[in-house]
Amino acid sequence: MSEQFSRRDFLKLAGLGAATTAILTGCGPASRYVKREPYMQMPEYNYNGQSTYYATTCRECAAGCGLIVRTMQGRAIKTEGNANHPLNLGKTCARGQATLHGLYNPDRVTDPIKAGSPTPMGWDTAIQVVADALKNNNPEEIAFLMGMTPDHLFDLVSDLADATGMNAPIRFGALGMFESRVTLSKAAENLFGVAGLPFFDVGGAQVVFSFGANFLETWLSPVSYTRGFAGLREGVTKQRGKLVQFEARMSATGGKADEWIPLRPGTEALVVLAIGRLAAELKGGSMPRAFSGVDVLDAASRSGVKLETLEHLATMFANSTGALAIPGGAALGQSNGLAVAEAVLALNALVDNFGRPGGLYLSALAPNETDDHRPASAKEMQEFVQKMTDGKFKVLFVHGVNPFFELPNSLGFRSASKNVPLLISFSTFPDETAREANYIFPDHHGLESWGYQRVATGADQPVLSGAQPVVSPFYNTRATADVLIAAAQLAGGKFSQALPFKDEVEFLQGKAASLMNEANGSFSAPDILTFMAYFQQHGGWWKTSEGRGIPDAAGVLNRNLSGDAAEFAGEGEFFFVPFVSPTLAEAGANKPWLQELPDPTTTVMWNTWLEMNPKTARDLHIENDDVVRVVSAAGAVELPVYLYPAIRPDTVAMPFGQGHTAYGRYAEGRGINPNDLLGQHFNEAGDLAFAGMKVSIEKTGRKQHLSRLESMIGVYGEGMGEEH
Amino acid sequence: MATLSDLKISEVKLSTEESGKWGMVIDQDICTGCQACVAACAMENNLSFVGEEDAGYGRSMHWIRIERFWEGEYPEVKMTPNQPMMCQQCGSAPCEPVCPAFATVHSQAEQLNLQVYNRCVGTRYCANNCPYQVRSFNWRDYERPEPLPNQLNPDVTVRRRGIMEKCTFCIQRIHHAQDQAKAEGREVMDGEFTTACAQACPANAITFGRMDDPKSLVSQLAKRQGGGKHLEELGTLPNVTYFKGE
Repeated sequence: MSEQFSRRDFLKLAGLGAATTAILTGCGPASRYVKREPYMQMPEYNYNGQSTYYATTCRECAAGCGLIVRTMQGRAIKTEGNANHPLNLGKTCARGQATLHGLYNPDRVTDPIKAGSPTPMGWDTAIQVVADALKNNNPEEIAFLMGMTPDHLFDLVSDLADATGMNAPIRFGALGMFESRVTLSKAAENLFGVAGLPFFDVGGAQVVFSFGANFLETWLSPVSYTRGFAGLREGVTKQRGKLVQFEARMSATGGKADEWIPLRPGTEALVVLAIGRLAAELKGGSMPRAFSGVDVLDAASRSGVKLETLEHLATMFANSTGALAIPGGAALGQSNGLAVAEAVLALNALVDNFGRPGGLYLSALAPNETDDHRPASAKEMQEFVQKMTDGKFKVLFVHGVNPFFELPNSLGFRSASKNVPLLISFSTFPDETAREANYIFPDHHGLESWGYQRVATGADQPVLSGAQPVVSPFYNTRATADVLIAAAQLAGGKFSQALPFKDEVEFLQGKAASLMNEANGSFSAPDILTFMAYFQQHGGWWKTSEGRGIPDAAGVLNRNLSGDAAEFAGEGEFFFVPFVSPTLAEAGANKPWLQELPDPTTTVMWNTWLEMNPKTARDLHIENDDVVRVVSAAGAVELPVYLYPAIRPDTVAMPFGQGHTAYGRYAEGRGINPNDLLGQHFNEAGDLAFAGMKVSIEKTGRKQHLSRLESMIGVYGEGMGEEH
Repeated sequence: MATLSDLKISEVKLSTEESGKWGMVIDQDICTGCQACVAACAMENNLSFVGEEDAGYGRSMHWIRIERFWEGEYPEVKMTPNQPMMCQQCGSAPCEPVCPAFATVHSQAEQLNLQVYNRCVGTRYCANNCPYQVRSFNWRDYERPEPLPNQLNPDVTVRRRGIMEKCTFCIQRIHHAQDQAKAEGREVMDGEFTTACAQACPANAITFGRMDDPKSLVSQLAKRQGGGKHLEELGTLPNVTYFKGE
C-alpha cells in the first residue's frame, strides 16, 4: 500500500471547504491513502460502537447492483442494496447478501505465489514477472482473458492493447453463455440494425410470454426483472398481469407463471411463429410475411402443444393491451437459437409494443460506453482456444473468469493451456484456473476494490456503478490494475506510455473526468476530486434522463423468419437441459451460506442432482437418490436423481454451479459440472447450444442421498416409511 | 411541584412509548422463492451453516424457509405459491408455556416471542410445540474457520451448542431504531427501518412494521381483503399475514 498520504493530507490536497468535508466522511477507507491500523487502534473514520456505511457495487455477477456495506471497527458485517441505485433500488439477491463469505473466505489466495514454490513471492518480484512478460514477447503473443466484471479493468486492458498491439482482451462468463447473451444481441442487430441487449419492461406489461428466459433467477439482471415481475402482478393502476412460461423443464420462473407450457425442445421457433400467425389472424389485416410460412397444425404436432392451447395463447396475446414476449435461456441455447430469438422479438413487433410501457426497449448504454461490450460467444472462445493450441500465445493473463470450470470440457481449454508457456492468474480464490497457472497474483476482493461497472440492462437510465474499498485489504493482495500499471511502467516504451498513471485511482479519475460536465447527471462537480468523492458516496453516477432506445420496427414483420426445428448432438433418448443454479452460478460454490440455501425448485442443498420425470423414472426402475450415469457425445458423469414432477418425460435437467475440482474447501470435490456433457455445438450466433445435447441414462446400482429441505417426514427413519 | 396525577400521566406515557406490536405482511403472489431473504437473515443474525450431511438430516439453521408444494401431475403440474415461513411471533405462543427454563418468554413491549439464549438448556420442548416448525436447535458448535467470524454482527449473540434459536423479527434493529428515536425525542417512524429479509427481498414481497399503528403500511396491507394467517384456528394469534394472490 502506498503510504504517501495520510488522510488529513488528502483532505488538504483536495482543497475542500468545511461544507464538502462533511461529504467526504462517506469516502473512507481510501485504502491506498490510509495506513491499515490494528483493531485496538481504529482508523480515524471509525467510532467504537458505531457503524460506518460505504456504497459500492456487487461483483457476484455482471448485473452491477449497487450495495451499501455496513462496517464496524474496520470489518464488513452486512451488505444491503443501495436504495438510491437505479438498477436495484435497495434490493439484493442471495449472492449479493453472501458476498461477505467471499471477502472473509478461509481459502483466499493471500499472497502472490509461483507454482511449485513453497514460499510466497514479494510483489516487486511479481510485478517484474508481469513486466518481463510484456516486454519479452511480441504484443500479438500476449492475450488477456477476462470475466464480465469489473469494467474499469477491462477498459484499462483495452487501452493497453490499443496502444501496444496486444490482443484485445476477450471477455467470457458461464452465466453469459447460459443466458445466450450474444444471441440476444445478434437478434437485435439483425432485426433492428442496432446490436445491444433488449430490455423487456415486464412491470408495465399485462401479458408476458417468456420463451426460456429465466429472468427471476439468473437471466441478465434478476433483481431488476424480479422488481418488474412484482409490478406485473401487483400493478396499482391495472389488473393483475399474467405470465406464461415456455420451457421443457419448469424453472422457478415457470413455477411463478400462471401457465407453464412444456414444449418439445427444439420446437420453440415453430411455436412462436404459430402463435404469431394465429394472433395476426385475430388482429385482422394482412398476414405478415414473418408468420406466413408456418403450418399451425404441423407446429402443434411437432411441439406437443395442442392446437387449442396455441389458439388460447394467441387469443391471450392478441387481445391484451400490454403483451410482451421474451426470448432467452434454453430456448436460445439450441442450434436454431438465433431464429428463436428473432421470432420472439418479431412477436413484439406484431403487437407494436416498442418503446412503450410494458414493451420492448433497447437497454440504455452506460455512461462512457461507446459500444455494446458483449462477452465472447462460445464459438469465439473455441477460436481463442485454437490459437492457444497452435502456440500463438506465449502469455495468457486470466482475471475474473475460471475457464477450466466455466468452459465446456470439449472446447479443449485444458489441453490447450499446456501449449501456453506462461499462464498468470489474478484470481482472488484458488480456483481451477489458478491451480493450473504458473503464477497467481491475487486481486483484492470486490469489497476491497476500486472500480466501476457499467449497468448493461435493467435500469431506465444510463448507469455507471462505482466501487470503493469498504475495508482495508485483508491479505497481501494487490489491485490487478495497479499490478498492470506498475508492470507497464517497468516494461517501459509503449507500455509505459499506454498507462501513464500513478495508480488505479488516477486511472479511474481519468475515466470519470469526461462525465464531470455531462448534462442531466445525478450530480455534478467542479473538479475531479470532488467528483470522485461524490462518486464514492453515491455509489456511482447515472443520468437522470431516460436512456433506453426504441427499436426500429420497420421491416421486422416483412422478414422471412425460420421455423426450422433445432438439431441435437448425440444419440441418447433424452433431451439434456442444463440450467444455472440461481444461488451458486459460476462463482458461488465457495460460499457456505450459498451452499446451504435450498434450490428454489427442488430444495436440494450442497450438491448436484439430475431432474427426471417420475413417470420416466418408474419406467426405468429408478428411484429418488439413485445414482445414474449420464452419457452424452462429449462425456459422461454420474450423479443422483431427483424425481421432478415438472419436467417433460423425454427430458432431463441438471444445474450448473457445482462440480469444482478446486476453489476451496466448500466447493472442491462436490457435485458435478454439466459442462462435462456439453459438446462443441453452437447456434447461428455462435453461442453454445447448451440445450442441444441428447443423452442416455444408465443405472449404476448405487445410491447417494441428496440433502433436501423438503419432506422431512421419515428423515429420522422412525415409524413413517416412505411411499413407493 | 408535580402533582401525583401528573406523575401518573407521565408514567403511562413512558410505558406507551416503549410498547408496540410488530407484524409482517407477505405477498406470496410476488414471492419468487429466490432465497435472498434466507441469505439476508443468515448474514444479519449470525446463523450457522451446518454442512451437507446435517442439512440433509433436517438440522439446517435457517430462520426462514421458503415452502413450495407440488399440485397435480405432469403436464398439469403446478408449484404452489412460495411461502416464506419464519417465526410468526404469536400473541399466544405454544412454545412459551412449555419451557422449563423460561427461555421462551413473551415480550410485552414488542409483542414478540423472545429467546433468552443464556437461559436455554436445550430441552427442545418449544420446537416440539411450535406448529409452524420455525425453531432450530444447535446440535453442534458449528465451525466458522478464520477469518469468517469477522463478518459476524456484533449486535446479535452468537449461539452455541445446545441452544434453541428462531426468528426475532430482527429485534436488534427494532431496538436500534427505538434508541435512535428516543434520543431524538420522537416516535419510530414507519419505514424508518425494516427486517433484514424485507430489506433484501427483490420483489418487495415482505412488508414489516408496526401493526398497532393504523397508518403504517404493514397495517394497511394486512387489512386488505384476501389475507390470511397460518394455523389461525389453533388460537396462536400469529402476527404474519399472507396474501396468495389470484
